[in-house]
Amino acid sequence: MSMLHRPGKQLLRTSLRKADDRLGFASVGKTALSKIFPDHWSFMLGEIALYSFLVLVVTGVYLTVFFEPSSALRVYHGHYAPLNGQEVSGAFASTVEISWDVRGGLVIRQAHHWAAHVFIGAIVLHLCRIYFTGMFRKPREMNWVIGVTMLVLAILNAFAGYSLPDDLLSGTGLHIFYTIEEAVPWLGDWLAFLTFGGPFPGRYIIERLYPLHIFVVPALLALLITLHMGILIRQKHSHFAGPGRRDANVVGSRMWPSYALRSMALLFAVAAVCVLAGGLAQINPVWVWGDFKSSTITSPSVADWYIAWIEGALRLWPPTEFHVLGFDVPTQFWPAVLLPGLTFGLLWLWPWVDRRITGDRGTHHITGRPREAPVRTAIGVAALTFYGLLLLASGEELLVEWSRWPIGTIRAILRTAVLSLPWVTGAIAYWLARSLQRSKAEGALRLSAAQLRPRHGEQQQELEEHEEKEIRKTGPVPAAGLTPYEPAEHSGSVSGNGGPVESDGDRSLSEETFWLKRGPKERR
Amino acid sequence: MTRSTPDRSGVRRRRLAEGLLLLCALLVAFGVASVHRGSSVPMAAARATSAPSPTAAAKPTATSTPTVTVTPGTTATPGVTPTATVTPEPTATETPTTTASVTPSQGPPGPAEEVGKHVYLRDCAWCHGDNGGGSGRAPSLKTDGAADADFWLRTGRMPLASADSKVKPGAPAYDSKTMDALVAYVGSLGSGEPIPKIAPGSKQIGESLFISNCAPCHSSSGTGMILPDGTWAPTLFSTPPQQVAEAIRIGPGQMPRFSKDDIDQEELNGLVSYVSDLGSPQVIGGHPLDQLGPIAEGLFFFLLPLPLLVVVIRLLGKKAP
Amino acid sequence: MSPVQKKESAPKSVVVCFGIGALLFAGFAVAYALDLGTPVLGATIGGGLAFIALGLAIWSQLIDDKEPEYVEERNVGPSPEEEFDTFHEALVTEPVPRARVLWGMFGLSMTALGGAALFPLRSFYPSEGGNPDDLLTHTAFAHPRHRHLVTEEGVLIKPDDLEIGEVLTAFPSNYDTRVAEGATLLIRVDPSDLQLPAGRETWAVDGVVAYSKLCTHAGCPVGLYAQESNQLLCPCHHSIFDVLRGAPCIEGPAPHPLPQLPLGTDPDGYLVARGDFSGPVGASWWGYPA
Repeated sequence: MSMLHRPGKQLLRTSLRKADDRLGFASVGKTALSKIFPDHWSFMLGEIALYSFLVLVVTGVYLTVFFEPSSALRVYHGHYAPLNGQEVSGAFASTVEISWDVRGGLVIRQAHHWAAHVFIGAIVLHLCRIYFTGMFRKPREMNWVIGVTMLVLAILNAFAGYSLPDDLLSGTGLHIFYTIEEAVPWLGDWLAFLTFGGPFPGRYIIERLYPLHIFVVPALLALLITLHMGILIRQKHSHFAGPGRRDANVVGSRMWPSYALRSMALLFAVAAVCVLAGGLAQINPVWVWGDFKSSTITSPSVADWYIAWIEGALRLWPPTEFHVLGFDVPTQFWPAVLLPGLTFGLLWLWPWVDRRITGDRGTHHITGRPREAPVRTAIGVAALTFYGLLLLASGEELLVEWSRWPIGTIRAILRTAVLSLPWVTGAIAYWLARSLQRSKAEGALRLSAAQLRPRHGEQQQELEEHEEKEIRKTGPVPAAGLTPYEPAEHSGSVSGNGGPVESDGDRSLSEETFWLKRGPKERR
Repeated sequence: MTRSTPDRSGVRRRRLAEGLLLLCALLVAFGVASVHRGSSVPMAAARATSAPSPTAAAKPTATSTPTVTVTPGTTATPGVTPTATVTPEPTATETPTTTASVTPSQGPPGPAEEVGKHVYLRDCAWCHGDNGGGSGRAPSLKTDGAADADFWLRTGRMPLASADSKVKPGAPAYDSKTMDALVAYVGSLGSGEPIPKIAPGSKQIGESLFISNCAPCHSSSGTGMILPDGTWAPTLFSTPPQQVAEAIRIGPGQMPRFSKDDIDQEELNGLVSYVSDLGSPQVIGGHPLDQLGPIAEGLFFFLLPLPLLVVVIRLLGKKAP
Repeated sequence: MSPVQKKESAPKSVVVCFGIGALLFAGFAVAYALDLGTPVLGATIGGGLAFIALGLAIWSQLIDDKEPEYVEERNVGPSPEEEFDTFHEALVTEPVPRARVLWGMFGLSMTALGGAALFPLRSFYPSEGGNPDDLLTHTAFAHPRHRHLVTEEGVLIKPDDLEIGEVLTAFPSNYDTRVAEGATLLIRVDPSDLQLPAGRETWAVDGVVAYSKLCTHAGCPVGLYAQESNQLLCPCHHSIFDVLRGAPCIEGPAPHPLPQLPLGTDPDGYLVARGDFSGPVGASWWGYPA
């Protein structure tokens, strides 16, 4: 009570009241503050992506002030002596100026580039989490599609971004991009000429990438992020199975102050990592690579990792060129057009592909565990192995250095690995998932040798009993102000608004465990 | 209110411990990986089976016609065997059959030319022939000059201890006086490049030429990179300027050469000046990550920032019961 | 209100964290003023942000330690049938007769707008026009005006300017060297070592051969010349070409040999091209000639 007299609090209350006079947000605000957000560390991966996007925007705005998106030649005058007085493109010169002649410019520039790595890395981890927990299933298919779209946009924008400085390394990458465009069926050469304004390199590509990179794609990303989070807010986040958790409710922490503070901590942590890396780890020193000339190249010549898997595919794919129906099928078509096309096409369509594989058409708000869908898990692990090996192939030079074997040997080994290793890791993942299913071990490391052997019958029954016990444990106690939740033990309908929730009879089991009990092949 | 939550502080302590352990492991891995790369990688072994260059006496010239319908390529240089193996010089008095193991250090006292000849016959003739004509084991030195001798000897790549030794850089085998004498003598055996003169030059010219001519093999940063047959273009971080100039002129091993018509003296000075800075680059952006480019940057990213952020969310997020 | 209730003090650790953060931000200002360099700038701001994060994390921990778990209804799922029907009715009800026709015509006009909007994309295409197939098949060397080979500075080249074991990048004369297609590798080898394909015996001058520098795989300049093995290595995807035999790709993903340029000399002895390359330079495309 004495607190009410403190001027700070009074000021806060008065200002909020004034705003509320005009907007009437108290009720919405109360609901928002007490929104429940489920707890699991893996649910915060998407936030890392979100906050690194903010860092990208903030640092990016700073860079647009100093960057000159011009391919026209001009003289660089600045502190970097070897380039002082040399004629280079405006884009290259301004990037060197940002790095050497604008105080603080390099730390912002490097933080921007590291933040791009964090952005895409977090999206990939987040995608893996969603995939392995099966949360692209109904009702979250739309969010999955939006998410994959954002991944593609992020990768393209990052490529555009590091190509803007017009340096030797990224310019070579643009040349490869040009030849990949050429490999698009039938229209390829027109497409390449359209993009570059003529044969490579043309005089326009920097000027064309610039508005795409600083405005069009970020605006699209902002829109998609808004949609993504809007759907998330509407559907509420999923939660792992546990005491009191059902499809029809959401159990976790309150948004304010609990979750919000944690989220703010993450925001500052992401910003800290980006800026610390930006200051302490040099990235993309374009003045060392030199300005772009289409007649020379540096070695190694690789792209950033999120593009480098395509480079790896280009390196490993054997020369296959043939004519069909009067057209030449370029050899780079398979690894650089078809493979990424299939990759992202499959990713986009995955919710529906998964439906066909598992037969699971139910609504799910309970986060699955990888062990519950061994086939899906196996495919995911195999895919990660495959793309990981392609990424490894983009570092062939280092492998040659470490092994001292000739490049042909390394290439042969990698080719063999790419064709065989995913099957192996997929099979291992499947086996582990099944073993974890049967046993009650918490994690793969806690499996005993006996549990790794398949057993039937009594093991299955034990599992069901365990699941039932989990569900019937005393659930969480709702705080004052929130609707207390009555676990409905005997009725099938468990949601308060009359909407049907798919659950089985009197067991109050979630779709997940129900599926487990029945076995993978049966459908509802 | 009943406390239905697990012991969060205990979970957090465990997470913190595992996170710190992971970070330590990663920092160690990162430290080990960033130990100076590319030191002393062997260049291609001097191939004894390489065809000799045409003798200086018969430099072919193209016959010119009023229209550009010259038929080049058919003029063969006289006196050159088209086969790959080299036959020893007819005047060689001995073709040693045993492998001489060389442990050189110092030549005998005496006038320089005698010293040079003595050391040559003792340490080099068993491969390169008594008069530098070559043998089945080593190429002829007839088209080489003092620049070649100085480069190969001062970088320690020559002499070889035995026929099976790999050619790799090391400490020079001779002291300075003996070295000068030997270089002078070997240089006199052939008609190649003299030791190039160098002077401080324009780093701007050097940068431009380096990117155009040298970066494809040695990397823009000078860190060195792979070559086709399992060999390596070495790092240029600690190459003495004189050696840089010599290598440019003679094209040792797999490296192509760059003659005066391509890179004149001013340009050579500029290149040498630029290369001499590569070993101590002005690294203004933090740890250089070996200036290797996206491979190193990607490795670093997956070793440090990304795991760090995962550790952060493991500590921040609560474990669902 | 208990008179004995003591006021708890704010958690020290959080205060300290925010304090250090503030100090580090001040340190950034100092580092900026004194131009202490990127690592110091990054360490101060980044460190400050890290301590703020730590403070917030500890604060949230302190809150969470006392927080139970909460539950609320999810309240999401298909709307009841009547509700949905009402919504659908509201959407499709139309006072104007045969509204379907109107909507259809509106859709048609929007399609026309969309189609029309694609046309300005033509301006992205080079204003000089031209068919990509033609432009990709030939290089400047096809035209007499650009037949001479010059260095990047525009200097004419004689065969003797190169020693055996030397490599030089050359370009078509009177042509922008920034255009990729013209980059040519001049390599001098021992003429007796050359084993060029049939019909190309005269394409080298005194052991000087000319190949396109653009890799036939993905267009990267094939800059690495290994003199002793007479091989060219492309650093992008590691194709290896044999210089002595007409630059076929002996290892790696490149599908075609590097196109060769037939060399000759003009009356003054300078190198000229006696025609265009033996094939299109750079990577192939769907209109690549058979």
